[in-house]
Amino acid sequence: MSAAHTRESDRRTASEPGAGRAEAVLSIRDLVVEFTTPAGTVRAVDSVGYNVGRAETLGVVGETGSGKSVTVLSALGLLRAPNLRKVTGQVLLDGESLLDLPDRELRRRLGRDVAMIFQDPISALNPVQRVGHQIAEGIRVHDPGVSAKAARARVVELLGKVGVPHPEARFDQYPHQFSGGMCQRAVIAMAIANRPKVLIADEPTTALDVSVQAQILELLRVAADETGAATVLITHDLGVVAETADRVCVMYAGRVVETAGVEQIFAQPRHPYTASLLNSLPRLDMPAGRLTPIPGQPPDLVDAAPGCAFAPRCPIGRDRAVCHERRPELLPADLAGPDGQASPGSGPASFSACHFPAEAAGLVGAGDSGSPGRPAVTDGASSATADDASHETTDDAPHEATEDASDRPVLRITEVVKRFPVRSGVFARPSAWVHAVDGVSLRIRPGQTLGLVGESGCGKSTLARLLLRLHEASSGEIVVDGDDVGRAGKAELRRIRRRVQMVFQDPYASLNPRLTVGDNVAEPLRLDGGFSRAARRRRVLELFGRVGLRPEHADRFPSEFSGGQRQRVAIARALALEPRLLILDEPVSALDVSVQAQVLNLLDDLQRESGMAYLFVSHDLSVVRQVADEVAVMYLGTVVESGPVERVYADPRHPYTRALLASVPVPDPAGRDRRRRTPLGGDVPSPSDPPSGCRFRTRCPLAEQRCADEEPPLRPTAGGRTACHFAEDTHHLRQPAVRP
Amino acid sequence: MYAYLVRRMLQFGVVLVLGSIAVWAFVYALPGDPATVLAGPDASDAELAATRDRLGLDRSVVEQYLSWLGSALTGDLGTSYYAARTVTETLADHIPATVQLAVAAMGIALLIAVPVGTVVALKPHSIAARALQGYLTAGLAIPAFWLGLLLIIAFAVQLNALPAASDYVPFWEDPGQALRHTILPALGIAVHASTVIARFLSTSLSEVRGRDYIRTARAKGVPERDVVRHHAMRNAALPTITIVGIQLGAFLGGTVVIEAVFNYPGLGRLLYTSIGERDYAVVQGGVLFVVATFLCLNLLVDVVYAYLDPRIRLA
Repeated sequence: MSAAHTRESDRRTASEPGAGRAEAVLSIRDLVVEFTTPAGTVRAVDSVGYNVGRAETLGVVGETGSGKSVTVLSALGLLRAPNLRKVTGQVLLDGESLLDLPDRELRRRLGRDVAMIFQDPISALNPVQRVGHQIAEGIRVHDPGVSAKAARARVVELLGKVGVPHPEARFDQYPHQFSGGMCQRAVIAMAIANRPKVLIADEPTTALDVSVQAQILELLRVAADETGAATVLITHDLGVVAETADRVCVMYAGRVVETAGVEQIFAQPRHPYTASLLNSLPRLDMPAGRLTPIPGQPPDLVDAAPGCAFAPRCPIGRDRAVCHERRPELLPADLAGPDGQASPGSGPASFSACHFPAEAAGLVGAGDSGSPGRPAVTDGASSATADDASHETTDDAPHEATEDASDRPVLRITEVVKRFPVRSGVFARPSAWVHAVDGVSLRIRPGQTLGLVGESGCGKSTLARLLLRLHEASSGEIVVDGDDVGRAGKAELRRIRRRVQMVFQDPYASLNPRLTVGDNVAEPLRLDGGFSRAARRRRVLELFGRVGLRPEHADRFPSEFSGGQRQRVAIARALALEPRLLILDEPVSALDVSVQAQVLNLLDDLQRESGMAYLFVSHDLSVVRQVADEVAVMYLGTVVESGPVERVYADPRHPYTRALLASVPVPDPAGRDRRRRTPLGGDVPSPSDPPSGCRFRTRCPLAEQRCADEEPPLRPTAGGRTACHFAEDTHHLRQPAVRP
Repeated sequence: MYAYLVRRMLQFGVVLVLGSIAVWAFVYALPGDPATVLAGPDASDAELAATRDRLGLDRSVVEQYLSWLGSALTGDLGTSYYAARTVTETLADHIPATVQLAVAAMGIALLIAVPVGTVVALKPHSIAARALQGYLTAGLAIPAFWLGLLLIIAFAVQLNALPAASDYVPFWEDPGQALRHTILPALGIAVHASTVIARFLSTSLSEVRGRDYIRTARAKGVPERDVVRHHAMRNAALPTITIVGIQLGAFLGGTVVIEAVFNYPGLGRLLYTSIGERDYAVVQGGVLFVVATFLCLNLLVDVVYAYLDPRIRLA
């Protein structure tokens, strides 16, 4: 490192938040991480720096590829990619430089002074070792004097502390015997076993269900409080950050673009990317209006251009020369605040890497000037006029809770059941049945969207597959556009499938990698047979235009596209035969927030043009609220509540719906302490042995004897349908933070 | 787990029956009367009649098979007409030799494969790994008989250190002599197997090293050596065990070529000569033994698998 460079980085870090403060336990300075790829050198982390103080929680937010995980992994020497080119900069743990330590010395600090919690808890544990032993190993490796017996006692105590029931028995179990949430508890126990000074959680709840997420976030907070550890919470979820962080660091394209206190970030972001991210987020605490996506995609990090990486997508850049020529440094942005009340020293400072930080603050709540007429998501503190405007746009679609006979539904399913056998024993006879879908009735009218929400394993995806007879229903009736799917012969089934198309979750796996995207889209047309080669080509280009892809892309292969673009290709393919019903199975859950908003808006436009009906399956309550007219909430194979979207979200009557809604992290730090969360306890019971009576009763705060004896029917309640004996009495349960 | 093992055993039984039918039927598929086939070309009329009588050729096919299976299960596999001994005795003479050779060969193969596979997986860019890659390619390509000949030329002809033709000396009677006689043929077949096993091990080890739980172990502060030993190896061993089982099965089935090259009195050479001499009773018995051994090893692999992988054991 040259002397000049050192001086410059010293100057910068000295001005960064927390620097110089004695309590900065972990300090990352000027970290650069580069990879060698066939396309060239990728600078995945570019002069990143942040500090975390004792007992402080720093939220690091960013989309895929922003470098947020690579930063910490390389800082701790855990990055083992063979194409890792270099890691430079400084990582100070309690004043000690980690990057200069030999591997053995570094290992001595890992797990003792700094501990990590990973994204996918099930794969983070060794499948062939007992969970207890894996935790004990973390204790004994740093303190070989601890006897096996003492370690066991300590681990059992830890497991109890992190909320694993029956810790003594659980000690000897293997990871596959744990649920995802329980695995993450075990990983947290492992992380806090040595009372580390720094706790780094890398997307700790991304792989978990929303009700379990709430439990884990609460547990992390308690763990940090108890150990007094500095916490770095890496996430893509702005809601999680708003709920947990003290300070926030926003990353984009390998750089920190903004850091500030959590309230400041959400109320007055000083970087247009932060503001745009907030605007593109569907959220429960705001009226459901049209989203304002960030146009384009994150940049390629190979040979990055000299200017601001966000400039091509920036709503305030207006192609100003400085944005393209000079890379903005991360500088204090307090003085530029519109209120003029910069108060250095009191409260965390705000830093922005934007040439025009003052303009960025104006973006929040003001909407995207480039798309007039789109109601913006508004800042919670701003006036209510925007709220009213957006409210109306969602209300112009008619919602009748009553069934209208004249309006023939595109899809009508009645008492549909799907059971899967659990085979066991010597002859693999079905010894039990998983009741994946158990007596579900739904209907969708033309041009409407039914949102099907529920946690993993509730049967929502199975139900979606039954509609196309990708699985055979065990019983019940599925009628698409007047045709009975269950009784259809081969030829008829083909005709039905032409009218019902599906878009899957993973756009990487659902396109044939050996066909060009154009051929992928043309495949339904080819199978249909009625199109000449030229007609197919014309139709493909037309479809490309409709989903916002450029016609010249048709001859490229899927590998050349980003996730969002691939999902557009998948949607184009689904549209090829002008279906009457589109089944969307978690279509945006693999996409980043900014791209997700683009796809949601696209779906909205397509529906308005064509009058297609959607079945939108998702675990994400905010997304479903954004797109759906009607909602059905599933739990363990049954619908527990359904009705128009306003009714279900604003006036949920089922305790499960209420708990789910209350578990969703709200991307607004204001008043988070008042939103006292008592998240839903426990895990979803096994669908092979569901509880008697009401299936939710084992986790329900209202459950009585009657709930075990009698299964509550899905009955009309307050303009929707609720399957709860006490649907009229659930008001006193925690109020979800949904704003109509 | 017991259900799993019982299920595997039942499958084992079914395959064994099917295998035995194939083995039994093959003498019937040969041209001529099975009795002439089994009794041999120079059999007298009386011998032929006795064989016919034993086979019960006038009875139904099912009865014939069942009576053959019944005698096979009680150890009566017929008589080798050349040696004028029962097939069972003949096999019993040769099987221990093959077992000793197979065990020695597998021992050598593992001694080579485990370190080679580990180095190639853990330090893929080191000079050692590059050299070992060369060994893996060459070892896979060299035919066993040619390697055997090279070994004979080097150690027996040039150095005169080891016998060119190997006898079977039971290990427990004279370990030194046993080693002298076994090491060359064992090495001859071990090289090929070691490359196969090493490739499997290094592939699964480098795959396992990229798993999340390895990162977790490192983040816990476990030294790299223990990360490999406690976390990576056991997981990487699982797929490797299958291939070790298959290779050992092939060894026990008689390594016909190498035994022929070294004139080693094992099952392979026995089968080889018996085929040449049309001693089909011996061939039949030998093949039946090979099939049963192979299946037993597969079962053993399943048991080891279940032992090592709790996801199977506790399913």
